[in-house]
Amino acid sequence: MTQRISKYQRFIMMNPIIQFFKFIFLSIKIMVIVAGGHGGTKSE
Amino acid sequence: MSKIVVLGAGISGHVAAAHLRRKLPKEHEVIVVSPNSNYQWVPSNIWVGIGRMKSKEIYFPLAPLYKKKGIGFKQAKVVTFHPEGDKDIAKPYVMVEYVTEERKGEKEKVTYDYLINATGPKLNFEATEGLIPGTNKTYSVCTYHHADEAWKALSELIQQMKQGKKAKIMIGTGHAKSTCQGAAFEYILNVEQELREHKVRENAEITWIANEHELGDFGIDGMLMSYGNMTMKSKEMVEMIFEDRGIKWIIEAGVNKIEDGKLHYETLDGEFKTETYDFAMLIPAFSGHGFKAYNKEGVDITDKLFKGFMIVDADYTPKPYEEWSVQDWPETYQNPSYPNIFAPGIAFAPPHPISKPRTSKNGTPISPSPPRTGMPSGITAKIVADNIIDTIKKGGDISLHHKGSMGNMGAACIASAGYGLTTGSGMSITTFPIVPDYHKYPDTQGRKLGKTFGSIGLAGHWLKLALHYAFLYKAKMKPFWWLIPE
Repeated sequence: MTQRISKYQRFIMMNPIIQFFKFIFLSIKIMVIVAGGHGGTKSE
Repeated sequence: MSKIVVLGAGISGHVAAAHLRRKLPKEHEVIVVSPNSNYQWVPSNIWVGIGRMKSKEIYFPLAPLYKKKGIGFKQAKVVTFHPEGDKDIAKPYVMVEYVTEERKGEKEKVTYDYLINATGPKLNFEATEGLIPGTNKTYSVCTYHHADEAWKALSELIQQMKQGKKAKIMIGTGHAKSTCQGAAFEYILNVEQELREHKVRENAEITWIANEHELGDFGIDGMLMSYGNMTMKSKEMVEMIFEDRGIKWIIEAGVNKIEDGKLHYETLDGEFKTETYDFAMLIPAFSGHGFKAYNKEGVDITDKLFKGFMIVDADYTPKPYEEWSVQDWPETYQNPSYPNIFAPGIAFAPPHPISKPRTSKNGTPISPSPPRTGMPSGITAKIVADNIIDTIKKGGDISLHHKGSMGNMGAACIASAGYGLTTGSGMSITTFPIVPDYHKYPDTQGRKLGKTFGSIGLAGHWLKLALHYAFLYKAKMKPFWWLIPE
């Protein structure tokens, strides 16, 4: 096992308060990317 | 009055049927034909496979829902396609065979005006000798039955490990051409976390085995992504996680034979190797169902409809990897020979893989097949449903106004990396487009960087859990279900 994720990074990743805001941010960002439309490619 | 027949009630078939029913007046008939009595939210099988969810939490019976919503339901499997009808019936039809106890083996000609083939893949375990879930210590999480079996075996192994047993666990792909690496990736991280929770991690050697050329390929040629303030390759991200968790890996491996606790594979270098294990979860190859099609005279016309999976508006001209483009990929999922037949989701035949094809020194192709699971399945099903709805409402020629190529479509993959409301973790990854467009984004490996990103942490677990509840709510067609995007 090699520690590739530092203790500080792990704290950020697992802190419920920080992650709550991350959850909101990710939900919106993912929604924008996924529901942001799709289309064809053949007429380009 | 039009009659639309949907074959399959998985993510793709169910999405299509639900949208058709919601938007079409009641005089039009929507019929779903599926051998399965239940709808299952497949992405949560991972949690069934580690005992954190009961299988009944991820499925519900289809018949009562369809009855309530006015969707016809036949619990049957399709046997043959007759897109021109036959000597007795002028209308096109599919021959179906019932699978319920009362009508088992009974056949029926189901006529249609529009046909949506959403039969998904055949889980082709037979393609790898000895790979049968529940035997030879190998398991699967492809269905909730398989996931239940996997958890039973894993929990027994955990008990033995608590008594001091040292165990070898192998998780990954069970065939040289398997796809859906993401499911295996989620499962290996969840198993690793469960072993830590049970305080037996020290007794386990966990190994990832896959047909990928690089870690993080996922069958989509890998990704260059934003990660925090950095730009990182998916390979580097997966490598970081595996090393951090002490997971070993074997890549460029085509598993070709399974014996009791023994896994045989060939590498791209042409070597034949063997690994032993105490528990393995291996994703099989996916294949078409081997359907046959006949014209009005009863002549076999299978090659007009199928190329393994169903032929759609893709460019199937064989080309070398360097000449592949996003224009090869379909955008309406319509069969070119029979315009009233569509195949969204996994049921359509892809023009070629997405990852670079590779062949071993012995001539064995060892590289991932292209994934079309999850989000693309739902989106393509909605596109097909919307085109049929437009056609019926407006009349005239088939409307193909709605388009969605995987080369111009974003997808999110929320990969669970461990279960727990405060101890869980998940990798949230988005990619745009799914099929890399090297012409449009030449400097970022075919992807738009801002829309292709990765993030790891507790929020990822919450997201996956939120999606579980949201998509089951949507699938049950509860109030305003259609506001939740595919």
